[in-house]
Amino acid sequence: MIQLNLLKTIIVIGALIFASFVSSAELVVVVNKNNPTSILSRSQVIDLYMGKYVAFPDGSKAVPVDIEDDLNTRTKFYASLVGMPLARVNAYWSKVKFSGRARPPTQQKDESAILAFVMETENAIAYVRESSVTDDLKIVYRFDK
Amino acid sequence: MINKSGLLLRLAIVIGFASVAIGFLSSQLFYRVTFNQEVAITQQSIGSLYKTIAATAATAAYLVEKDLAQEVVDGLSTNEVVLNAKMMFEGIEVINNDNAFIDPVIFPIQSLFEADKSIGTVVIAPNIQYIEDKAKQLASDNSAAMIIQAFVVTFVAICVAFFLITRPMINIASALHKTTPGEGNRLSVPDFHQNSELGGLVRDVNVLLDKTQEQFTRERKLRQEIEALEKRFRMLFENSLSPIVLMEPRGNILLFNIAFEVTLGKLGLQLKKSYGPLLENLFAEPDKLLRSVELAFANDEIATGEFKLKTTQDSDSVWVQVVITSIVNDDLREYYQITLHDISKRKKELESLAYQADFDKLTKLYNRQGLEKQIEALIEQDRSFCLALIDLDSFKRINDIYGHEAGDEILVFVADRIKKTLRTVDFGGRWGGDEFVLLLDGADESTTRDIVARLVQRISKPYFLRKFNQNVAVGASVGAAFYPENSRVLQEVINLADQAMYDVKNIKSENPEHSLKFSHELNIQENKRV
Repeated sequence: MIQLNLLKTIIVIGALIFASFVSSAELVVVVNKNNPTSILSRSQVIDLYMGKYVAFPDGSKAVPVDIEDDLNTRTKFYASLVGMPLARVNAYWSKVKFSGRARPPTQQKDESAILAFVMETENAIAYVRESSVTDDLKIVYRFDK
Repeated sequence: MINKSGLLLRLAIVIGFASVAIGFLSSQLFYRVTFNQEVAITQQSIGSLYKTIAATAATAAYLVEKDLAQEVVDGLSTNEVVLNAKMMFEGIEVINNDNAFIDPVIFPIQSLFEADKSIGTVVIAPNIQYIEDKAKQLASDNSAAMIIQAFVVTFVAICVAFFLITRPMINIASALHKTTPGEGNRLSVPDFHQNSELGGLVRDVNVLLDKTQEQFTRERKLRQEIEALEKRFRMLFENSLSPIVLMEPRGNILLFNIAFEVTLGKLGLQLKKSYGPLLENLFAEPDKLLRSVELAFANDEIATGEFKLKTTQDSDSVWVQVVITSIVNDDLREYYQITLHDISKRKKELESLAYQADFDKLTKLYNRQGLEKQIEALIEQDRSFCLALIDLDSFKRINDIYGHEAGDEILVFVADRIKKTLRTVDFGGRWGGDEFVLLLDGADESTTRDIVARLVQRISKPYFLRKFNQNVAVGASVGAAFYPENSRVLQEVINLADQAMYDVKNIKSENPEHSLKFSHELNIQENKRV
């Protein structure tokens, strides 16, 4: 009985993950086009967003940006990146905040604000829908699966 | 009261030792099991302990937060099952204390954000001492319980053994101890043991007692029969008129009867343990006895014979028929049974019969047969002797006048004179009627003359017949012949003496003084006459 329940849970979780992949296919990680970094690995993206490193591989300071209002997009992004619901990501930050140097990403109100912030901030990094990417921006990471 | 080797004490000791040993072994085993269990439990609890700090540890490792990591290891170490804890990540090691890591549990720190990615390790040293103490505590509690249980089991086992086995057995044993085999007492089956082995034992013992009693009764009866038989045998033995002796071949007397003692008394002997082999010391001629017995035994026969016992000079001679049987006993030892039948009386009778045959009843002198035997004996020994034939004168007349009794009286008188006159080597006898014969051993003519002259003188003296108050006198005519000078043939010698005697008788009337004539004189005369 327990095994059956476990199986059901696995199936449901699998379905959810698949659905998020489909919908996140639209999200991409972008930087200012002047940023020397042209591509990042998934781990590098995680390290930047989860506060481990606050610099790009070339050593220049990085400013990760979170979307403030569009919780759907934010949820979709964290689910795709670290496989965590937003609540746990928040819990993580609330724990880490007290202990030291790691800081959560800065927040911009919506996608247009994000786009504007990245365009004017050379060392910013953000996630946007692929369709919103302009020439001033450079895609450094794709959720290609 | 308490017997050192008694059943109950032994049982108590055995059960006590066994339960203590079992308690000891099982507490050891329990300690091992408990320890292992505790170790497993500790590992499990360390596992769940880790789970509670896993996220924090992952965060600390991820962000390389040493302070957070320190908090994690310190937090882990406050738990009593944890001796020490450390975290290692990105070349950094955060540790709680200096205690060594023995049998550590190692947990890889899982990355928070990337599956299957290890970003460091948490190492936790379990508190073995604590686990041991706990296991020991449990084990000692268990041991105490075991010991109490052992005591209870021992006590119960002893009680059960005592009431169910030992006490009935002791009762049976003491009852059996008081029972004398062959008597009517029987054991009673203990309560609750009607169908048990003890009940069976008691019944078997009773059967045995029954059989023993039966056997005792039978044996007692048999013994009585044997005693009666023995009494009869003894009666037979003791009342036997003949002495009976059982002895060893060397002469030791083992058994004798009253008759033997009586015989010893007759012989004037003291009772002794031995009288030599075959009682030889009792016999007048032991050599004869020994030879006879040796011969008989050599032929596997019973030795019998008539032998004379050695007697003191003044008592009568004792003759016995001796029967000696060799008995070989069951133990292969040889014994002699000697029976002495007193045949003195019969011997005396036989002797008297022989006497009657050879002697004259009236005169107690040899009769003709006796004389002939003596003559033959002399001839056999090749002796020379003189045979003198005596005929009484006037005897017939006295017999006619005074009767036979007076005649007999005269004959006895003459015989008495003859006995008194003869030398010890000579024999005298009555030839028949009023004829007497003298056998003068080795006598020559002059010796013969002397003896005959003396005899005739004695005979010729007047004899007083009391009955008739009358003196009578008889004379004697004597003819003599010499052996072997006159003849080597006995009958011829007798005839010669007879002729000489008749010759004397013939000339008596004219020459009364002439009483003796030798046969050779007769021959001369006859020759002269012829």
